[in-house]
Amino acid sequence: MMRRNPGFWFALPLIAAMLLFFAAPLVIVVWFSLMPPRSFDLTTDFGLQNYQSAFADGYGPPLMWSLIGATLTTAITAALAWPTAKILHRHAGRWASIVTALIALPIFISESVRLFGLSVFLMPGGGILAGTLKALFDVQIGTILNTRFAALLGMVYIHFPFMLFPMLLGVGMIPADRIEAAQDLGAGRWAILREVELPLAAPGLLVGGLLTFVLCLGANAEAAILGGRAVTVITAAIEQRFNYAQDWPMGAALTVLVILVTAALVFPAVRRIDLNRIIRR
Amino acid sequence: MIGGRARNWVKVIWVCTILTALYLPILSVLLASLANTRYMRFPHKVWSLDAYRGAAADYTTVTLHVISLQIAVWVVLLSVVLGTLGAMAYARYDWRGRTLFQKMLVLPIFFPQPVLGLALLLSMSALGIAPSWKTAVVAHAVWIVPIVTLVISIRLFGYDVAQEEAAFDLGASRWQVAREVTFPALWPGIFSGALFAFLLSWSNLPLSIYTSGADTPLPLWLFSRTATNYSPLVPAIAVIGTFVSGLVVLALLLLRRVLSRAAN
Amino acid sequence: MTKSPAALSLTGLTKRFGAMTAVDDISIDIREGEFFTIVGPSGSGKSTLVRLLAGLEAPTSGRLHLRGLDITAMPANRRPTAMVFQSLALFDHRSVGQNIEFAMKMKGVAPEARRLRALELLRLVRLPESYYARPVTQCSGGERQRVALARALGSDPEILFFDEPLSAIDYRLRKTLEVELKELHQRTGKTFIYITHSLEEAMVLSDRIAIMRAGRFEQIGTPDEIYRHPTSRFVASFMGEVNILAVSQTPAGPVFADLDCAAPEAAGAFAVLRPESLRPDASAPVTFAATVTQKLMLGSRTQFHLRAGQAALIAEIAAGSGASLSLGETARFGFDPADIAWVQA
Repeated sequence: MMRRNPGFWFALPLIAAMLLFFAAPLVIVVWFSLMPPRSFDLTTDFGLQNYQSAFADGYGPPLMWSLIGATLTTAITAALAWPTAKILHRHAGRWASIVTALIALPIFISESVRLFGLSVFLMPGGGILAGTLKALFDVQIGTILNTRFAALLGMVYIHFPFMLFPMLLGVGMIPADRIEAAQDLGAGRWAILREVELPLAAPGLLVGGLLTFVLCLGANAEAAILGGRAVTVITAAIEQRFNYAQDWPMGAALTVLVILVTAALVFPAVRRIDLNRIIRR
Repeated sequence: MIGGRARNWVKVIWVCTILTALYLPILSVLLASLANTRYMRFPHKVWSLDAYRGAAADYTTVTLHVISLQIAVWVVLLSVVLGTLGAMAYARYDWRGRTLFQKMLVLPIFFPQPVLGLALLLSMSALGIAPSWKTAVVAHAVWIVPIVTLVISIRLFGYDVAQEEAAFDLGASRWQVAREVTFPALWPGIFSGALFAFLLSWSNLPLSIYTSGADTPLPLWLFSRTATNYSPLVPAIAVIGTFVSGLVVLALLLLRRVLSRAAN
Repeated sequence: MTKSPAALSLTGLTKRFGAMTAVDDISIDIREGEFFTIVGPSGSGKSTLVRLLAGLEAPTSGRLHLRGLDITAMPANRRPTAMVFQSLALFDHRSVGQNIEFAMKMKGVAPEARRLRALELLRLVRLPESYYARPVTQCSGGERQRVALARALGSDPEILFFDEPLSAIDYRLRKTLEVELKELHQRTGKTFIYITHSLEEAMVLSDRIAIMRAGRFEQIGTPDEIYRHPTSRFVASFMGEVNILAVSQTPAGPVFADLDCAAPEAAGAFAVLRPESLRPDASAPVTFAATVTQKLMLGSRTQFHLRAGQAALIAEIAAGSGASLSLGETARFGFDPADIAWVQA
């Protein structure tokens, strides 16, 4: 018998758990998605009806909204996080550590608490913002609550730290002397950003972007709490199929579509990124 | 440099704006909890702690915390055990399947959480398992265990394996090496991993939405009550829940201190 | 000397970091086409000085002129100078060719012209053209040095700065690269300003050397001047192993305090004497008794560590010169006062 390296034995429990609770459910979802509509059993009666009706029955828009929301959120959080990461890296020290900790802290306060807070802040009439303005300046303001914009705001708010922290690691991978060398060779601000900083920080940017995008793709709390009925995201549509319509195969087919989008993005990225290099630092 | 001072001010303002934006909603929850009216009318005519009294008297508060705690404790245990073993395979040993293992391990992290929950719900239902807090533990663990594995791995990467060989060379047994060298080196990573696991599980909403069944953890209750049936009880319980998690973290930090004192 | 403006002219250049003065009121003209080397121990301010010259730091006070043009306020990316960094600071995410072309790309030179120039530079630094597409991460230490040099030359700079580029390289390769650098300087005719902590390296390369200490130039001169006529103990000791003998005044006249022997015609407070000037020769003009405490074979020479009175001295004798002293032996050593370099401090 071949003697295996201890590494394999150490990995085994984790591999088993992941196969059982991550891979197997995905297989079951794919299987269900191939079952006839409204069936509750797994058989070998495979078919693609669910996928055909997924597009015919108007599930395109929810998927599209989720994709648009994820794309916009990724872009906006990246634009906000880049200067922040640069500042925190450049002025590393006591203050930067405090600020970093303060930014990290909200991750550990439940998303529902923070989104609820955002909604009471934005609420019209007696909301925190509107009420304060009314009391102090006698100014009446409307609200952006229950719009797509509010849902987007919530997504940006929740996911900003997920973008920032990988980006901080990325920015940390830019040696200061490379920037100086570029400067010395005649590069201006933008040229340095494009030619030196972004490529060197790319692993961190990629991880942050990917994480944000994927988390946003499934996000539904933002739309539910802040977006009102203005927008239906794909997760809400799937839930609706599962719970109310009791159409598991259809829900499964929609789930598979989301998984496919995710896989199309994640697989190439994970193949390229050397995560070890980022976390080894 | 010319303009250096102005540029510094821009940076300070930028950072302050970000922090304000991050904390305003949290502050808003706190403010909302200090009302005694059913509908939010800020600024409150009467500032009161009625909502907290109500929350303290309501048995729901206890139930919610117990469920959340139950889930979090199990997730911490699973994460620490699987994560520590996994980290050894991730960072300590070089073995044939390691690269593949490393890449596969991060896949659950890069996966939409509610979709993960839905997939689990569907498969559990297909197997005839009713969703409960136990299934929520599984859902949480699938996402959190890989994160904890990475957290512990970060520690292990900086660990010089030659220390173990040195200990062997100096006459330590395999068990003594593990106790005297390996574990102390791993301990800080395990501790931060446990902390991460607790906090991530305690605050997680998307993984619980479809997996917890009739057992409602705290974030899920807040989520559903925000949409319907609002009262100041909601922000009050939100504040209490956040406070409790802070206390747990504090207790863990104290425990670590006591343990490290005892070890010395 | 001609009256044309200096390649680089420093006037009262000063850089302070808080209470610390890294560069202290330095003024000097560096000539066109000169190989000028600044030598100093770590912390002497030499790296800060070159960063000021390259425009990577702004001086606290003082002016900097390039061929008569005031460039004090000009940022690094607009200065017609280029630097080879201590770490080399190669762009690891780019190929050799892209590194060399970087400055040209910044200037908007067309791709084809860039490529031709990059290939030319590859030849100049003796790298095969096949390296053009190679990632820099696949280059060896010496090759990376050459790429860094070619990259700096690629900006067609009027002055090249070098911040200890050879310090992390093993001895043999360093010697090779020193010769190549010197040849390159002669071929390009550009002004080179070189920073190093090795006086030996400076001697090999330079037209003129400045010894830097605590933010100031302690001595400026040709390698020969520095070698023959150091102006201070600091400069003398920088050249490696030397004997420094303090002179004290007694009623009977000046004496070498530690050796207990007369110091005729003392022309300074300290006598600097090279190890090779000290011989086991009882007939030398100045002699003293010394005990051998250590004997080291250095190949072409034999080095003796001596104790004479209070002084620990070093003597080096060419191998095969017949002197066969053994450890612990006491003999009369001596030197010729004409070999002494006198310094005041």
